[in-house]
Amino acid sequence: MGLRDVFQRVSQSPTNPHTAAAPRTFDVADLYRGPVSSADEQSAATASPLDEKLRQAYFWIVNTAIISPHYDIEFNHDPPQSFVLGDVKSRLTLPSAQSYSSYVLLPLLTFATRRKCLFVGGPGRGKTASAILMGVLSGASVRDVRRAMQHGHPQMTVADLLGNPLPADLVSAQRIEDIRISWRSWLGMRVKIIDEYNRIPTRTQSALLTVMGDNYAEILNHIFECPDSAWFLTANDEQGGGTYQVIEALRDRIDVIVQALAFNPRFLSELLVRIEQNVRPEEVVPRQIIFTEAEVDRLQGGIHAVPLPPEVRRRLEFFASQFEFFEGAAEQFEYKTKDTARLAGVEWAGLTAQDTGRDRLKDLGCQTRNGLSVRVLMTLLVYAKALAYFRGNRIVELDDARQILPFVLRDKLVPDTDAPFFDAPGNGKYRVDRVGWLRQLFDLSCAEYDRLNLDAEDPVAALAAEFHLGLDGVTRGDARARLVKIERLIGEWSKGRKLYGNLYDDLLSLKYMHQRYTNYLRWLETQ
Amino acid sequence: MSAAISPTLGAVLRAERHQLNERFAVARLRHPDLDAEAFAGFIRGAVDPLVGAVARTRFERVTDVTLAAYDIALELVGQKLVGRSARTPHVGGAWRRILPEVAPLVAAEPQRMIGAVCNASHHVSSTPGARPGAWIDLMVRLAGQCSDTATFLTLGQVAAWRAGMAHFRESALAAADKLPESLALAAMDAPGAHWSQVRDRLSTDPWYDPATPNDTSAVPRIVARAGAFRGFGGLFTEPPTVAMADGQLLVRGGSECWLLTADAFGATFHRAVPEEFERARAQSALPEGVSVRGATATIRGTGVALPNGFGEATSACANRTTLALTSAYTHAVVLIAVPAA
Repeated sequence: MGLRDVFQRVSQSPTNPHTAAAPRTFDVADLYRGPVSSADEQSAATASPLDEKLRQAYFWIVNTAIISPHYDIEFNHDPPQSFVLGDVKSRLTLPSAQSYSSYVLLPLLTFATRRKCLFVGGPGRGKTASAILMGVLSGASVRDVRRAMQHGHPQMTVADLLGNPLPADLVSAQRIEDIRISWRSWLGMRVKIIDEYNRIPTRTQSALLTVMGDNYAEILNHIFECPDSAWFLTANDEQGGGTYQVIEALRDRIDVIVQALAFNPRFLSELLVRIEQNVRPEEVVPRQIIFTEAEVDRLQGGIHAVPLPPEVRRRLEFFASQFEFFEGAAEQFEYKTKDTARLAGVEWAGLTAQDTGRDRLKDLGCQTRNGLSVRVLMTLLVYAKALAYFRGNRIVELDDARQILPFVLRDKLVPDTDAPFFDAPGNGKYRVDRVGWLRQLFDLSCAEYDRLNLDAEDPVAALAAEFHLGLDGVTRGDARARLVKIERLIGEWSKGRKLYGNLYDDLLSLKYMHQRYTNYLRWLETQ
Repeated sequence: MSAAISPTLGAVLRAERHQLNERFAVARLRHPDLDAEAFAGFIRGAVDPLVGAVARTRFERVTDVTLAAYDIALELVGQKLVGRSARTPHVGGAWRRILPEVAPLVAAEPQRMIGAVCNASHHVSSTPGARPGAWIDLMVRLAGQCSDTATFLTLGQVAAWRAGMAHFRESALAAADKLPESLALAAMDAPGAHWSQVRDRLSTDPWYDPATPNDTSAVPRIVARAGAFRGFGGLFTEPPTVAMADGQLLVRGGSECWLLTADAFGATFHRAVPEEFERARAQSALPEGVSVRGATATIRGTGVALPNGFGEATSACANRTTLALTSAYTHAVVLIAVPAA
């Protein structure tokens, strides 16, 4: 065993022990598993379940490679211990269950789901090093990962990014199809890294957008189909600043944003060991935590298969419905959205100043300038499943969604910092702290959900459940009765209730069902 | 360290001084509180005799055995599994008593053999209800009959079952089939019997012990008392209750739940979740012909007197072979053998 081997030790399984459920099987071969690792055990580790392997990768990175002692994704089995410190009453919580560092976990989940992660933070905080580690986890050599990494700079051209037509063909070719293209090798990598993407000129950003969004590159009518891959981008400034403004469509393609938190000088000794032993973590990644392409395929399949129970989904639906509604944006009901206002280009402050009679402090929708897109919601679902899978859970729990949500919505849900909420005592910090703001936003939404007792009393859910059983066999009388039920419910709601985002979406759902029943009834009458 | 060790081991330590010192430094990085004196003591008291035994059979393997033993010893001392502050005496005991008995096998595959003995002894000693001392005794007695590593490892598995690891029953029985018949019978303390007959009985009756000369399997009888008060080294803080689901016996003591596996060789507890117990309780009903009234359990017309002071049963459940009973006056689960119909 050499000194380098210390850096290659992988955490012993199980990394997140769960109490097993009976019936279970016991294998006497387990007798020889224990504190002394053997060659047999190491080969067994390579065959361990993929969620276990993913956790081993996480713990190797967090214990050995990236010194990130920030456990900001907190989980609790029992009520956690918490302490209030300082004059502004800062709260420090000691979680009672296995908790994680977002800076390591989010990139790893991005790797497993083949999505796109942006590292933000000041220079020298390990953003690029973390991205390289993800490349090495995919089985590529450090040298290949480094060579394939694209470094954004102000002179970067589309040819720099994608490749060049062969000069000889440019001269001799009679048809454009005859021009061969020398594609850049990074396009074929399973982990793609774009360093300092906010230094790429706007035109080149558009070419990058095609690769990121549609997974192919095009030069002179020639197409290069990229393999499914995970993307890691770095930027010193998450707002899209830098040498060039990042185009909105490109920013929108990024699934999660993680911030490189500050280095804790208490861990200086770990840096010292690296200098003294001349060890670079990316060069000593243990073989056991390298994922083959087939394994990442299986990981993705496993993640997508984790069920998201209806009670969690309903809370996400309720949360998402808070934001898009904007009562003053239009006359027609369907257009009463923030997107209508945004497309019109009217001054925001003028629109929000209109009095709708709602409590602007209580209305969560007043805290944002936009709603959630389909892409964002799909990303949220995928990452919630990925976190549940990573934790070895059989289903997605509310905490999985709660913890992952700020990293997905960080750049997607834009706060209206002029909203009364941010002026309330103690809320000023949320103008700066996006993660904290989003988390409390979700907590407030869940509290409202509980207050309305929607788990037990949700008439729209009941109507929808009835509707989803299908229309086969529904008689004319049934259809009429259901139409009356819908009309009666809307009539009830119209009596003096203020219109909030969740109610707006429910009303649109009711209108949808009403229309489907109306059409069905009409069809029945023609038979 | 060098004063009391044998010249053989001393020579290897001197020759490999540089890399051994480096390995010690590596282990220190991993275990900052690695006790150098405890490690030196273990080298003298456990590694040296093993190296000596290997030197007597295959001298040319001494260096390889020493290096493997040195690395494993560092890990064990670092994890406080051997040495003066060891959490259990059995890992060091197994090393000292078993490994010299199989020196030729250790010489052939030092890492595998030493690792297996240490891991197995740790596994047995950390399983509530198992008897690590019995495992070591059995291995010391029979290890010399193993001609190769695979046989030795299989014997270890069967011996673990006999040392009380009842949960391994099925897979250990399958493992025993791979042993030479005489060794399998010796491991069961049934010399002179036929393995096929012994095996048939073992596979159908968990309360059959081939080592017991008088066969009482046709009579219902108290066969075990499993579990104890936590203050006396057991698991329960309050008298437990039992429930059965799919033939598996679940025990609840306070807020904690356990799966209890038991047979003639012992009983072991494994963590379960309260939902499992509640689910089992909803299904638990005594099978026909089995009843408990007052201080007597009745199985197909035959009464079994419960232990003195047992009182009224607070819970009872049964599967095809075992009736389990609890009482408000004891922290143990009383197990009664149910004979085949």
